[in-house]
Amino acid sequence: MNALNNLLLHFAEWLDAQGWSSGLHESYYMYNWVESTHVLTLMIFLGMLFVIDLRMLGLALTNVPASKIAARLNVPMMIGFTIMFITGLLLFYAVPVRTTQSIWFRIKFVLLIAAGVNAWLFHRRMNESVSTWDNDPVAPKRLRYAAGLSLALWAGVVTTGRLIAYDWYDCYRVNSDLIAWAAGCMAE
Amino acid sequence: MEFLPVFEWMETSALGQIGKTYGGVYAIGQSLHLMSLALLGGTVLVTDLRLLNVVLRDVPSDVVTNGAHRWFKVAVTMLIATGIFMAAAVAVRMYYSAFFFAKMTALATGIIFVFAVKRPLLKRPHAEIHPLALKAVAIASLLIWFSVAATGRWIGFS
Repeated sequence: MNALNNLLLHFAEWLDAQGWSSGLHESYYMYNWVESTHVLTLMIFLGMLFVIDLRMLGLALTNVPASKIAARLNVPMMIGFTIMFITGLLLFYAVPVRTTQSIWFRIKFVLLIAAGVNAWLFHRRMNESVSTWDNDPVAPKRLRYAAGLSLALWAGVVTTGRLIAYDWYDCYRVNSDLIAWAAGCMAE
Repeated sequence: MEFLPVFEWMETSALGQIGKTYGGVYAIGQSLHLMSLALLGGTVLVTDLRLLNVVLRDVPSDVVTNGAHRWFKVAVTMLIATGIFMAAAVAVRMYYSAFFFAKMTALATGIIFVFAVKRPLLKRPHAEIHPLALKAVAIASLLIWFSVAATGRWIGFS
């Protein structure tokens, strides 16, 4: 784990040493526009995801076949996700060292992977069974759980993403061993 | 009319003090605000993109708009509630922020537009409404809610 943290820190320091990284961070308009675009595309991506998940839970647009909602909203959702992901990478690139050692960023990263796996399983299960329940107002139990889990995971991603801005557990502070380990703080 | 005393009162109120004192609670309020903004974005986009014939073209537009409006109301209520909580903790700073007043203007415009123009129009059978009117309403709605989100984000930078 220590070796991995060391490797990540060296990579972050290498990024930080690049002129474009500090240039982006220090550009008031560019950095803020990238961050604004990140939040605005979150509205597109997460907004579409909310509608799809609420349909699966039987809470919205129950008179429209579930597969139709999922298929038709998938394109704008993925456009939103792609721009959100690119702007997210740029935000990381602008502040690589602090972000690499942020416990919130690390939790967010794990939640993102979990949300991705859940989405993949959800689509696989939906495609396997959708012909039997497509017009039902509520999806089968397994898919409802997956939709609920999706909402919970993305709520976690948004919350931890927001918490990255706070320095409560930054490495320069006195943290418990567990926090310092999870944040990947390295001894000076 | 002088609004500064109102903002000063908000900051010293119990709500303002909770947000000021407990950073974790304030951050969760911010996250809920973002999630309600995302939900609002989803309902607005689904409605307006349907009216523009971009998504769900094979679903009647009144089915989509009626289904999405219910969750729009939930989103806007959450957005206002969490927004008041967030603003209360930094109310005096908000008083001096041009972006805050820009967002409030955009939000008020958005709410008036939805409940005084968009909904009354869309409650009628869509087949009876001129297609250009539906598209104009959708474009106006997208522009207004984009302004709400963009000006809101820039409050944090000002």
